[in-house]
Amino acid sequence: MSVRVQPSHTHFVEVRLKPEYADAEGAAALALLRGQGLTSIREVRVSRLYELKGPVTANHASSAARDLLGDPVTHESRLVSPAASPLNGMNFWRVEVWLKPTVTDPVGETVREAFAEMGLPRPDTARCALVYRLNGRATKPQIEKAVAKSLANPLIHRVVVSESHP
Amino acid sequence: MSAPTADAAEFAILGKDAKALRALGAERHLSLSDLEWSAIQAHFKSLRREPTLAEVETLAQTWSEHCKHKTFTSPIRFTEGRKTRLIKNLFAETIVAATESVKKSWCLSLFEDNAGVVAFGKKWALAFKAETHNHPSALEPYGGSETGVGGVVRDVLGCGLGAKPVLNTDTFCVGRPDYAGALPEGAHHPARTLRGVIAGVRDYGNRMGIPTAGGGLWFDDDYRLNPLVFCGTVGVLPQWAVKKEVKPGDLIVAVGGRTGRDGLHGATFSSADLGADAPSSAVQIGHAIQEKRVLDALLAARDRRLYRSVTDCGAGGFSSAVGELGAKCGARVRLEDAPLKVADLDSWEIWLSESQERMVLAVPPKNLKALQAVFAAEHCELAVIGEFTRTGRLLVTHHERTVVDLDMKFLHKGLPRAQRDAVWQAPGSSKPSGGATLKLADALKKMVGHLNVCSREWVIRQYDHEVQGGTVIKPLQGVRHDGPGDACVIWPHAATGDMKDPMGFSVAHGMNPEYGRLDPYWMALACADEALRNLTCVGADPGRAALLDNFCWASPEDPRQLGALVRAAEGCRDAAKGYGAPFISGKDSLFNQSKDEKGKDLPIPGTLLVSAIAPVPDTTKAVTMDFKGPGNALYLIGRTNDELGGSLYHKVLGRAGGEVPKVTSPATALDGFKSLHAAINRGLVQSAHDLSEGGLALAAAEMGFTGEFGCLLDLDELPRDPRIYTHDVLLFSESPSRILVEVRPEDESAFLRHFGKGAKSAPVRRVGSTMANPILKVVGLDGSVLLEEPLKELKEAWQKTLPGMLE
Repeated sequence: MSVRVQPSHTHFVEVRLKPEYADAEGAAALALLRGQGLTSIREVRVSRLYELKGPVTANHASSAARDLLGDPVTHESRLVSPAASPLNGMNFWRVEVWLKPTVTDPVGETVREAFAEMGLPRPDTARCALVYRLNGRATKPQIEKAVAKSLANPLIHRVVVSESHP
Repeated sequence: MSAPTADAAEFAILGKDAKALRALGAERHLSLSDLEWSAIQAHFKSLRREPTLAEVETLAQTWSEHCKHKTFTSPIRFTEGRKTRLIKNLFAETIVAATESVKKSWCLSLFEDNAGVVAFGKKWALAFKAETHNHPSALEPYGGSETGVGGVVRDVLGCGLGAKPVLNTDTFCVGRPDYAGALPEGAHHPARTLRGVIAGVRDYGNRMGIPTAGGGLWFDDDYRLNPLVFCGTVGVLPQWAVKKEVKPGDLIVAVGGRTGRDGLHGATFSSADLGADAPSSAVQIGHAIQEKRVLDALLAARDRRLYRSVTDCGAGGFSSAVGELGAKCGARVRLEDAPLKVADLDSWEIWLSESQERMVLAVPPKNLKALQAVFAAEHCELAVIGEFTRTGRLLVTHHERTVVDLDMKFLHKGLPRAQRDAVWQAPGSSKPSGGATLKLADALKKMVGHLNVCSREWVIRQYDHEVQGGTVIKPLQGVRHDGPGDACVIWPHAATGDMKDPMGFSVAHGMNPEYGRLDPYWMALACADEALRNLTCVGADPGRAALLDNFCWASPEDPRQLGALVRAAEGCRDAAKGYGAPFISGKDSLFNQSKDEKGKDLPIPGTLLVSAIAPVPDTTKAVTMDFKGPGNALYLIGRTNDELGGSLYHKVLGRAGGEVPKVTSPATALDGFKSLHAAINRGLVQSAHDLSEGGLALAAAEMGFTGEFGCLLDLDELPRDPRIYTHDVLLFSESPSRILVEVRPEDESAFLRHFGKGAKSAPVRRVGSTMANPILKVVGLDGSVLLEEPLKELKEAWQKTLPGMLE
């Protein structure tokens, strides 16, 4: 008897507002971060990052990014690599806020079901993170501290802060 | 993590001493007292075996403060001054006794189901419940309040055979958003807590399509470590669906979300002080869309009568839901059949998990297929996890291994009752003392902008209060839709289909912890009074009002705290009797205290939220609180006494003491409310607004700036205690049972005919009139002009406070 093993992949899809649109969520996040003393931050833009694991190909992920996870008029989406981006020294920071694995991710669960409803293979797991792109000068510990007091709750969230592209 | 089924093995407690058991309990967050441990020990000793871990967990959960309300139902030795008496069961002797003595035929279900149920017309009924979700919201404000809403919606969904939610309410007590002091490690700043809890209520209610149209906000720095989050839901159900019963042989069917490791120990956690070591598993994020699917499928199945009983999986999960449904017969559960989120759950974790959005049904086997089809159509998962039996036992197995085998009687009736001591010392001198002196106009400006009074628009606008299309009186009122309403009026017939029926209902609240600091007894009466007069102001029938109590208190192990709680419960008893308004449901949340930054205990002020619901016979006659035109007469119902204790005026001045507002004659108050209701029903009232925080001056200012008409008030005309000669008392006293009413000149005589003239009738007197000039003008006892304030300035002060702190 032969056993067919389903190929399993992990894809990261990032969906964000096109730069020409005002980002209200980002403005609210900026106010909260400034309230925590990060006054040097000039702008925050928010995007959503989906981690999809399972029998999902890059093509499936791209088509879901276009037709399911974003609005083609106002959003742009792309498959991103989980590897840290090269530093560019331009004072741009990237803050990813994930729910810890022990906490239920309702958005992720809904995405899984929606894949199946679109006729795509259902991912084994789907998780959704909020990504804040910060423009301004600050140190990593400063950002981590301010985020823990405003945008994330260390009890349920895992936060990844890294330098990034604009 | 131990391997699955390892917990079916014994959990050795026999022969252990109290200290060892306490340590065991602390390690597993069981919150069992020494007395409870010894009862469990004795029970298993008589069975000659050790319990399993799952059995001890089941007992701890079923016997938790959250599920059994031990403080309210255990004996209390109550010392008041020099007198000591024994209260056998505080709940039975106050809330239940008062409700029984009031006896109303329209109460269809009291205290036994997940929510209280009252009749609504001939065919329909309203289920009403308010819950607190304080501890989870302190740890994770967004998730805590979100799952609070989800929980209370499921309570209403699991009431009778299921009610359709038509209104959500939310009330928060938090620290001041501009709190600048220190906080202990891990505590959230009050501004963050507030933003989080508002967002949670917003996201869950809006996504489920339930209007959030009532509630309140109270700021006090003593809530900074223990915020209070009250979530309420009203549902409508047909009267035939009020009763439910489980029959042996019915299948135990779990529907909705899958079971995961979320929310373990939520119930036992609520029985403990909140500290830094709180288990992170007690916190969850809600899934509103999942719950909406459950709602739609369940109501479709209800109308096809496919199940015999239903309850929600709340604190304690399956253990609590199956234990409750099968309490009278017995139940047999196979845990391997429960759909899981993750595969590596221990048996006790499946049994006790508090994963959200789950319900348990009792289904006759012949209906299973049809039920499966209904749930499949809504993409909602369903699993048969066992059946109800005749054995009187709770038997739970996991892959053929026995995990729990308990006698239902011991589980539900075996809880030993510990006696607690309570002490009440009446406060000493009531003379007001200290504080600054302010000009009346300056005090008024400070008061309108005070956090506990100012505009809540910043919060309310985040909620969808229009969905379902039946919000007749909205939370924000007046010509610009931004004035403070007394209560919402809901026409729920989009849910019933009776489109020609003009009847609706109203929900209102009463709460004032400041009064409780002086005397919780009078606080309870004032809360009930406030809720009822708010209902009356919009056109609801105060003679058909039903009440909910929600007590939030610090540790009942402190005799003074427990004494205050007893006083409040006795106040509720006398309020229910006095107003003829039964309590139909309620909840208590205790142990709301934490160590502050210096390691000192910070208890919350004893807090009672009274929620009231009453039918509005004709929603087309409902009334808002804004002045409708110039030249109308203003009548004040109710008497003004020198009652500034705990008032907003004292708070603004920084003054202590004073007489707490007292409802000395609920019957007189009710007479006034009923008379006003009759006048509103005949269309004789243009606007009505209750006098609460800030007294007459604030009520008149709010009615004025909301309607954009001014008014002239003459203090000499006020029905009042003749011993009052000071203007600030007449303007700002918070004497209860008072309502300011606007009546057109041509309706005045007809209006007055509704009010009695006997000694027990509520006083009513013309105190002024409205005018086109948008100012608040007040003439004093000596005829001098005391106040002449432009309403625009007052409104600006009223509107800028919250946005100024939160934006």
